Amino acid sequence: MSQNNPSQLLPSELIDRCIGSKIWVIMKGDKELVGTLCGFDVYVNMVLEDVTEYEYTAEGRRITKLDQILLNGNNIAILVPGGSPPDV
Amino acid sequence: MAAAEEEIAVKEPLDLIRLSLDERIYVKLRSDRELRGKLHAYDQHLNMILGDVEEVVTTVEIDDETYEEIVRTTKRTIPFLFVRGDGVILVSPPLRTA
Amino acid sequence: MSSGGADKPGSGGGAVKTPSDFLKSIRGRPVVVKLNSGVDYRGILACLDGYMNIAMEQTEEYVNGQLKNKYGDAFIRGNNVLYISTTKRTLADGA
Repeated sequence: MSQNNPSQLLPSELIDRCIGSKIWVIMKGDKELVGTLCGFDVYVNMVLEDVTEYEYTAEGRRITKLDQILLNGNNIAILVPGGSPPDV
Repeated sequence: MAAAEEEIAVKEPLDLIRLSLDERIYVKLRSDRELRGKLHAYDQHLNMILGDVEEVVTTVEIDDETYEEIVRTTKRTIPFLFVRGDGVILVSPPLRTA
Repeated sequence: MSSGGADKPGSGGGAVKTPSDFLKSIRGRPVVVKLNSGVDYRGILACLDGYMNIAMEQTEEYVNGQLKNKYGDAFIRGNNVLYISTTKRTLADGA
């Protein structure tokens, strides 16, 4: 199969290529996370390292730093390889 | 393995619920509902049957004039009820020693 | 189906850690469990299952960063879980 045709790249293969590098995760609702992807499973539950969590609340943006997390795939909306942080 | 030893072991999360059968437990539900009651039965979905239940519902209202938050708790007792598992957030059994 | 490179040991340079690897590695450790509602639970992870149902010990419940409750043992139903984190770092409030 043509490896260069982007349409032949399965979504899961794209995520697989992100292992070891930064990824930006946008959740359903007002949460975003940036971290290094360590692995994932068929539900796109993900293990992330050196994570920064951004929550957008009425009181403003809340930032939480986390060492290593298992993120539930259930509420993930968008994944952005490269993980450009959601800066101001 | 000794039966007693088997009974105490918590190998999977639901074991914690199994060990709470016939004990009074605390259940936190969605939409700010809390229950305290005796656990008679449960299944893998965490559907539960509780007896002698005290239900506490917490509501927050905003005062029309002062815009202050008014927190109200409403208590009631229910002799016997069924809880649908999908509403459950947390279950805490009574404190046990060893 | 891919399982995070576990079927391809070469990819990721040996640093690949799948969700099931993670779950195996964190039993008995202090964790923070965050729910979709934003509530945090801090305690010792006793065990968990494939639904992300969690049993915790010495559990403390934090709402908006404030301690609201303590439970000796707690069962958390997996569908409410946003993430499970191993961390000793403290919360930093943004502007």
